[in-house]
Amino acid sequence: MRAVAVIGLVAGFGVLLQTTLFHALPLRLRLSPDVLLVLVVFLGLHRHTVGGVFAAFSLGYLQDAASGSAVGLNAFGMVVVYALVYLTCRRLWVDNVLSKVVLVFLASWVKAVAVLVVSAVFGASEGAWGPTLGAVLMNAALAAVLAPPVFALLTAARLPDARDEN
Amino acid sequence: MEYLRRNRILFASASLLLCSLLLVSVSLRSPTARDPVGRLLLDALAPFQVVFGWVGRSVGRVWSGYMDVVDARQENEQLRAHVAALAAQLLRSGELERENQRLGALLSLRGQLAGAGYGARVIGRDPSPLAMTLTIDRGARDGLRRGMAVVAPQGVVGQVAEASHTAARVVLLTDHNSGIDAIVQRSRARGVVKGGTDGTCRMDYLTRDADVQVGDRILTSGLDGIFPKGLVVGDVVEVGRSNRGLLQAATVRPSVDLERLEEVLVVDPAATVPDEPPA
Repeated sequence: MRAVAVIGLVAGFGVLLQTTLFHALPLRLRLSPDVLLVLVVFLGLHRHTVGGVFAAFSLGYLQDAASGSAVGLNAFGMVVVYALVYLTCRRLWVDNVLSKVVLVFLASWVKAVAVLVVSAVFGASEGAWGPTLGAVLMNAALAAVLAPPVFALLTAARLPDARDEN
Repeated sequence: MEYLRRNRILFASASLLLCSLLLVSVSLRSPTARDPVGRLLLDALAPFQVVFGWVGRSVGRVWSGYMDVVDARQENEQLRAHVAALAAQLLRSGELERENQRLGALLSLRGQLAGAGYGARVIGRDPSPLAMTLTIDRGARDGLRRGMAVVAPQGVVGQVAEASHTAARVVLLTDHNSGIDAIVQRSRARGVVKGGTDGTCRMDYLTRDADVQVGDRILTSGLDGIFPKGLVVGDVVEVGRSNRGLLQAATVRPSVDLERLEEVLVVDPAATVPDEPPA
């Protein structure tokens, strides 16, 4: 229950940051680091439960609700990210800061590709690849930079690792 | 069953992926269909978005203000540099304009004089207070030789005393070694203008009954074979008559400001002035 509350709080805060604060800053580039993605990577690394998958889906759904894009796009991307991170950390040792930063960076690309592929399949983003790639690169880099403090915050909240019995 | 239980996370993921695709499909096929959960989340987020938006805008304003100050400072420095460059350019331009005017007048004078004329720049002045000479940047290689007349658009300057290969020394009409045969323009009285000691000249050898008054203009007579006839030497500022003797003298102020002279025209003695300047 504590884990749900903490993740919910961080998720809510992240959505608010993504939808308001980052856009209000007078930056020349339109940057909005994906805090929820960092959260999903954290879940993929530390919450190996069906609840973790549902949490990833819910975070994606929350992002869909806040972003105004087709419902299910970000949910799809988040579940893909969760599943890949889960599979990765089952086979590779991903426990230091650098590997987590790299993982978040790659996860950003995975999510972006997943969302774009689904959009392309359903005909929702024709010709949107070119201008998107630069933004994806910048946002992936920002998310990677944001990863250590978010991970540190969640670690400080003492969320225990959870694994379903195999 | 065991396989399903072991891989339930992957199965759950697959199920949710399918669910997501279904949602996307429904969402895109019927854009007017409303998402009740999404609306609920939107309503829940709205008040917080107001607060966060206000904070974001405030931070943005502070940041913009700071950046504006930084930009204004940089712009100010650039503008200062630009103004300094323009001021220097304006100064150069004004200087060139004045030089152009002087050279134009010199050229006009050269056109009036028959014979050869050489434009020259003043490049040096006599360091001694006793001698009134200056150095010009033309010499024997340009055709200058001792005895040539040196004039300016305002009048007589002096004469070449010595010409080296590349430069020449000019004795000014205010030097005590200078002597110019001259006439009073109004009365045509004749005399010799010699250098004084205080920057003025003295017109000597005027007969006692010669008609000379303060304000009279003194011109070259052309009889000395050096200066063309009719060039302005200066104006009479004082007439000195003694009770005895056959001659009188007058103090003449040169028409040329010799201290500020920058360009001169060196004239061949054969040159003549077609018309006398107005009195």
